[in-house]
Amino acid sequence: MGKVIVVTSGKGGVGKTTSTANLGTALALIGKTVVVIDADVGLRNLDVVMGLESRIVYTSMDVIENRCELSRALVKDKRVEGLMLLAASQKNNKDDIQPEQMKAICTELRATHDFVLVDSPAGIESGFRNAAAGAEEALVITTPDVSAIRDADRITGLLQHEGVEPINLVLNRLSPEMVRKGNMVSQSDVVGLLNLKLIGVVPEDREVIASTNRGIPLVHNKNSPGAQAYMRIAKRLTGQRIPIPELREKGFFSNILDWFSGNK
Amino acid sequence: MNLMKLFARKPKSSGVAKQRLKLVITQDRFDANNRDIKQLHRELAEVLAKYFNFTMSAAQMSLKKEGNSYVLVADFPYENAG
Repeated sequence: MGKVIVVTSGKGGVGKTTSTANLGTALALIGKTVVVIDADVGLRNLDVVMGLESRIVYTSMDVIENRCELSRALVKDKRVEGLMLLAASQKNNKDDIQPEQMKAICTELRATHDFVLVDSPAGIESGFRNAAAGAEEALVITTPDVSAIRDADRITGLLQHEGVEPINLVLNRLSPEMVRKGNMVSQSDVVGLLNLKLIGVVPEDREVIASTNRGIPLVHNKNSPGAQAYMRIAKRLTGQRIPIPELREKGFFSNILDWFSGNK
Repeated sequence: MNLMKLFARKPKSSGVAKQRLKLVITQDRFDANNRDIKQLHRELAEVLAKYFNFTMSAAQMSLKKEGNSYVLVADFPYENAG
């Protein structure tokens, strides 16, 4: 029996979809069977981030309205074995799906897969409620800025109210340099404010833009610091104990090494 | 005076952010907990009514900011004699 995990944040633009795509891919790379569900009905994007937009035939709406079986609506990832996408309908809106219907889909999928990751839309309305309906666990994604942190706390309150447990925190786009200069709240500040268990810190990584442009999740680029961070989070999700050190700036020598290895 | 300003160090923005977040998250959690607060309010009123006369309609509970922290304030306006 697999785990259903909702990936959420409250605020938009903090990296829910990027994190879902990368964690789904990372889990599949370490041998797990995974379905990633796009719950952002009407504004789907998980398909393009994963580079699967041209392969979508059916969506979760077709499953709900009995136009196709769930297994036929799953799109196989083109790069990793064991990874599937269930796309959202672009023609419908968020109120066209009921929480029980999402829950039924999640229940069916977890019986046959190790992980089901549900990419939640931004906001705290019906879209979020549908995304969270079938989830037993949550990943709350935040960036180190005031609006994202505040919204993460709000969404955490709602998840706790729904009985979702555990709720793990992913701190995305942290810049150790800015923390050192006093222009960004630190990892320990965020953890202290939100009072959540931290499952990983993803450093600001410009490679994310390029990987989204290409539709190839970052974790395929094994040298990128962001990819390594997502791989570690995926391993922690499977129960491996990997410590989370406070992120540091790269020193002079590692920068030189990077320069020689072409990994700037 | 302007020279002083030039040399005075501005507080780090991360510290300001943390302080502001502490306050705003505290207030948000209080507001989100509205049902429990109302219940507490009712229970407090029941106990207090045994000992004092007060105007229930004007009673209220709120969070008030005091410097860098919040205090929970329960207001039960006491009824004057006559």
